Amino acid sequence: MTSVRAPATAAPRRADVPAIVEAGIRGVSMQVQDLALGFGSATVLSGLDLEVRRGEITALIGPTGSGKTTFLRSLNRMNDKVAKHWHRGDVLLNGASIYAPGAQLMALRRRVGMVFQRPNPFPMSIAANILAGVKAHRIAGKEHYRDIVEARLREVGLWDAVSNRLNSSPFSLSGGQQQLLCLARALAIGPEVLLLDEPTSSLDPVTTENIEAMARSLVPALTVVIVTHNLGQARRISDRTVFFYQGKMVECAETAQLFEDPREPETARYVTGRMG
Amino acid sequence: MALAARQAPPAQAPAARAGGRGRLAWLRASSRRLTGERSFLRYATGVAALLPLLALVGIVAILAAKAWPAMKLNGAGFFWRSVWDPGNTYGAPVKTDGVLHPVGAHYGALPLIVGTLASSAIAVLFAVPLSIGAALAVVEKLPRRASHVLGMFLELLAGIPSVVFGLWGILTLGPVLSRDVYPAVASIMPDVPVLRFFRGDTGYGEGLMTAGLVLGVMIIPIVAATTRDLLRQVPVLTKEGAAALGMSDWEVASKVSIPWVRAGMIGASVLGLARALGETMAVAMVSGSLLGTVPANLYGKMGTIASTIVQQLDGAFSDGTGFAVRTLAEFALLLAVITLLTNIAARLLVRKVAATALPVGRGV
Repeated sequence: MTSVRAPATAAPRRADVPAIVEAGIRGVSMQVQDLALGFGSATVLSGLDLEVRRGEITALIGPTGSGKTTFLRSLNRMNDKVAKHWHRGDVLLNGASIYAPGAQLMALRRRVGMVFQRPNPFPMSIAANILAGVKAHRIAGKEHYRDIVEARLREVGLWDAVSNRLNSSPFSLSGGQQQLLCLARALAIGPEVLLLDEPTSSLDPVTTENIEAMARSLVPALTVVIVTHNLGQARRISDRTVFFYQGKMVECAETAQLFEDPREPETARYVTGRMG
Repeated sequence: MALAARQAPPAQAPAARAGGRGRLAWLRASSRRLTGERSFLRYATGVAALLPLLALVGIVAILAAKAWPAMKLNGAGFFWRSVWDPGNTYGAPVKTDGVLHPVGAHYGALPLIVGTLASSAIAVLFAVPLSIGAALAVVEKLPRRASHVLGMFLELLAGIPSVVFGLWGILTLGPVLSRDVYPAVASIMPDVPVLRFFRGDTGYGEGLMTAGLVLGVMIIPIVAATTRDLLRQVPVLTKEGAAALGMSDWEVASKVSIPWVRAGMIGASVLGLARALGETMAVAMVSGSLLGTVPANLYGKMGTIASTIVQQLDGAFSDGTGFAVRTLAEFALLLAVITLLTNIAARLLVRKVAATALPVGRGV
């Protein structure tokens, strides 16, 4: 971050950066270092080390209560506001700590977007929903609003369905359409990383398929981390899969390997359906 | 129906026999089986449901009957005249259009209509933003214990009799404002429409502004408590969605939480407005009780319909023709109509706002 703001002459030239560091920076989007977190006296997660690779879809799977959603929420600091939240260890985004004193929370959330378990449109028009983040971060001037709304709605395949009612309430849309709207809203501020917290758990199979296809189309331009209870979904769309169990990361591997040849016995029991 | 359903064992219900239409047939049959006790219950609930309607119609009808002679004599000009003259109550009464009244009795409602609406408007404009702030603090910001304490104070504030507010207004708030605040405000206000009313003589603390502010303090508990309950209903997921988009707390509140409850907010404001419109004692004490003249600026002495009725009733009984009392009845009717119209307007507004804002229909 500092090198960006420094005068051009003082900034290190690309050629000066050792190739291996460059490769590392390019390959890892978020790095979790010995993270432990909890609420009050309860420890939800501990001893977590993980690299989220850039331009890939990383799926987080595990039984209910294994801490995967809490972990996901630590990547954009959504746990901060939860009562008695504490954490140890660190999370780096492009090598810079997101928990460092002076780290900009709003800027972090512009770079790390999120879509939730259930659609959560705001009580404003469909167009205003798309523009909510754009306005909050003053990303574009008024003259671009129309284009942004159209581009984002097209991107999620919602344009044809809503183009004639951009100014009406989003609550008249179906659940699936609302979720697509929320996805478009998250994409509108141009995040680098997109966190999906069981985005299809309340949706029908067709819309689910839609959203999965969309997630696939977002990489490698974006980095996606998805929490899912649906093992088939993890298998279908993710490049790497992380298995959580009882607040620990049990295994992290290429998706195919984790499902077909897991190293750990717990992983094997979970992915084969003997534990759920 | 619940009673009937509980008493009829499922096995005896003809539903099983009658197939698809069975449920309806069974309901009809069970309603025929209503015993005397149950039909009594039905009539009792019917009467209870009609009671508010009967009360409203009854009150308005009796007021109207009482006020009718005054309405005839005062005419339509009553609404835009600025005059308060009980006439010569010691001389011989005269009869005009069949209505007995003292010589020279002449009444106009304009100053009181203006006073009532203006003081209530000041109260709402003062109380609603403060209440929203207090409610947001309680729901979003303060730790649980502090918000409990604040909530308790709000309820205590709601329980204080209005005469206490009036006394506080006239002894403390009015003098302080007229000494330290009003002159300063009046001196910086430009001579342009609306703001012009902030200029001029600031008086001694009795008047429109003080009355409006006292009313504002009085309605804060109602508006704030309602707003707090509304804000508690905003789904966490929606607020988190806004925060996850990088909005600040203020943006989450102003762009998401408050719009989410805006229909209810209008309802809460109208609750407060209704109380302010009808508030009598506190206003009677701090208004300055001016009759027959529209206040020249926001600090001027004034009267409201409610405060004037209570202050003039005693004197009105000394009018042997009863005309003064009938005129007060006309004022009471006017106040009832104003309150009613406010409520209807609010309802229409709520419907309009709710159409675009609230999650109706297929909200997940």
